[in-house]
Amino acid sequence: MPTNLLDASPYGVAAADKTPLLLQGLQALTQHHQQHCLPYQRLFANQALPYTQLSDVPFLTVPLFKQRQLTSIPEADISKVLTSSGTTGTVPSRIYLDADTAKLQSRVLVKIMQEWLGKQRLPMLIWDSPSVIQSRDSFSARGAGIQGLSFLGRHHTYALNDDMSLNVPAITDFFNCFGTEPVFMFGFTFMVWKFGLQALKEHNLKLNFANAVLIHSGGWKKLEDEAVSARTFNATAQELLGQIRVHNFYGMVEQVGSIFVACEEGHLHCPSYADVLVRTPGSWQVMPTGEAGVLQVLSLLPKSYPGHSLLTEDRGRILGEDNCACGRKGKYFEVLGRMAKVEARGCSDTFEDNKPFENGDTLVNKGAGQ
Amino acid sequence: MTVEVVNPVSVQGQLAPFADPQAIEYCKTLSQALLQEPAAREYSDLMALGYWLRPASLERILTPYRKLKLRPLGHVFHAAPGNVDSLFVYSGILSVLCGNLNTIRLSNKAGGSADVLCDLLQSLTASHPDVSARFQIIRSPRDAAELIELQQQVDGRVLWGSNEGIQALRQRVIPAHAREFTFANKLSFAVLDIEAVIHAKPNELAQLASNFARDNLTFAQQACSSAKVVIWLGKPAKKAQAQQLFWQALSTFLNTEQGQGKYPLTESEHYRALNNAQNLVMSGVVSQVQTSGGYIRLEGSHLHHSLLSAHQGCGIFVELHINELSELNSQLTPQHQTMSYWGMSEVDVNCWLSTCLVGIDRAVAIGTALDFNVIWDGVDLIRAFSRET
Repeated sequence: MPTNLLDASPYGVAAADKTPLLLQGLQALTQHHQQHCLPYQRLFANQALPYTQLSDVPFLTVPLFKQRQLTSIPEADISKVLTSSGTTGTVPSRIYLDADTAKLQSRVLVKIMQEWLGKQRLPMLIWDSPSVIQSRDSFSARGAGIQGLSFLGRHHTYALNDDMSLNVPAITDFFNCFGTEPVFMFGFTFMVWKFGLQALKEHNLKLNFANAVLIHSGGWKKLEDEAVSARTFNATAQELLGQIRVHNFYGMVEQVGSIFVACEEGHLHCPSYADVLVRTPGSWQVMPTGEAGVLQVLSLLPKSYPGHSLLTEDRGRILGEDNCACGRKGKYFEVLGRMAKVEARGCSDTFEDNKPFENGDTLVNKGAGQ
Repeated sequence: MTVEVVNPVSVQGQLAPFADPQAIEYCKTLSQALLQEPAAREYSDLMALGYWLRPASLERILTPYRKLKLRPLGHVFHAAPGNVDSLFVYSGILSVLCGNLNTIRLSNKAGGSADVLCDLLQSLTASHPDVSARFQIIRSPRDAAELIELQQQVDGRVLWGSNEGIQALRQRVIPAHAREFTFANKLSFAVLDIEAVIHAKPNELAQLASNFARDNLTFAQQACSSAKVVIWLGKPAKKAQAQQLFWQALSTFLNTEQGQGKYPLTESEHYRALNNAQNLVMSGVVSQVQTSGGYIRLEGSHLHHSLLSAHQGCGIFVELHINELSELNSQLTPQHQTMSYWGMSEVDVNCWLSTCLVGIDRAVAIGTALDFNVIWDGVDLIRAFSRET
């Protein structure tokens, strides 16, 4: 039995062992943020401790990270600021990291990804353009995602040019060098589909990789608009890229590191360092397994900012715990997309009525399950 | 940029005398249509409008003005608000009854009950071309050239909306002689008497809860006259008991057959309310979030000026305490509109109001906050839309 979840394997801890440790960790994080983040303290001043169940851990609504600067570290310790890629006109989330939290994030991310990629560093094909990671101090979610996962690969090759067109020579070189051995591909769902798979099709280019893993994330909304299901996505990837295992993951810039990867069954899995709950809109009570509601995500990583317990804007449903057919322990769930947005009306009619309340997909690093 | 007329007619609109019978007949037909239209029954605001438009109701409103020598102002342009779909009819119809030609631009956000209304108004064009010509409803971009040109020729302009919206529309020039009335964003509050709540019989509390819900949860608390703040009046030691009784009664009402489904908030409205509440607490303006299904309670210390823009409705109530009404005087500003109250006598409230020189345009019983008054934000609309000789 593990004594520290952060040292445990990602999918090897059953609920009976995990829950008390997780609860203890989340309570410590809550107290830490109460002491170091004044707005957080104002909101959750009167907590009945100790928590006895996960649902006792108070949660923040995600847009607060757009609305205010929430940190639990002195300004001097901020080593990196992650931002969601706000569409024009919207305010991005800003996530403040110190060296420790950043290190923890990559440590955990590596641990989780090794489960799906193996321990070897594989040749890596990135379905994006190199310009996405150019800024050093401020990382977009896309850049941060690529940066974070690059640790796991070698021979990093960008499949797209800066204008998002297919970099055919780079891709064919990559295939010629590594086509017969295990390779790792990564990209954001929409980018992979639109600028990768669709472009390959247009170029009439098929690459028969012998052993590839494609990890992708970023939400299905845009693909659903084009009526592309996970099944179509995977089938197209196989048609164009050969022997390829495709894994979607659900994660967000507010909780980088402790991501939820979909297994062979298409179920998103909580790693040992994270968990999910589903709540009823309005009363915000926890819903039983199997019922759809709003997803709350819990993570042991966020220490430099109060992001360890977040109420997302996504709907989802818990499917089970410790008993997925894939054999992995932990809760598994599915994401059912964003809550339908309704325009704020207020008195703000005549001036703002040409603007939507908030542009839809502001967090590209926010994915949905298969 | 196109201007779409909702209820087009082929005749040219003509000015009419005050309370012209044709206009009253138009209102009567519209009232009947509203009260009979199955689609309108879904909307309590349309039912209320249907009753308001009945001849007897209009007569009660118009009678005091008949002895005045009122003549029309001319052509009036109205920009309707986006938060209360049917409000444009009240001010527009009053102006029609004053004899004016009216062009009303609907908010792009107008939907729901506004769509039902537009269908009905469109159906009246054949039988009532002349009055329809004086009550032209349009949808258009705010900066449509036709709209700018129209405003250069009006005799009056009525702007409902947010402060920024009103200022933006004001950039458009109107003739020197034209009158302008603005109805900007305002904050309203409810006052509950602690003793009265404690001593209320169960059925009285249930009625209070039902009335409170109607005032403040219709239109997802977006109407300016819906209370966003609840002020407890009386002995502080008894406040908790009264709060418990009242909020319990509200929760019970919202779960009854009568209350259930009547004030629905969407999932994302619930989410926005929670986010707004958390943000308000983080700002330090209020404390404590208590969610309770259909609404969220927050605790404040006074009528903080930032509430006007920071409180975004969707069922959030900031609770304050005062020992006496006079404690409000120093907190009120011109941005405070409706005070709805319960458990106090009208005489006492009016007596206090006479000492209160800033803020509050109307004090009404809880349950009537959304009722339309001819005097709105302190402006007598009939006089505003007329020339008195």
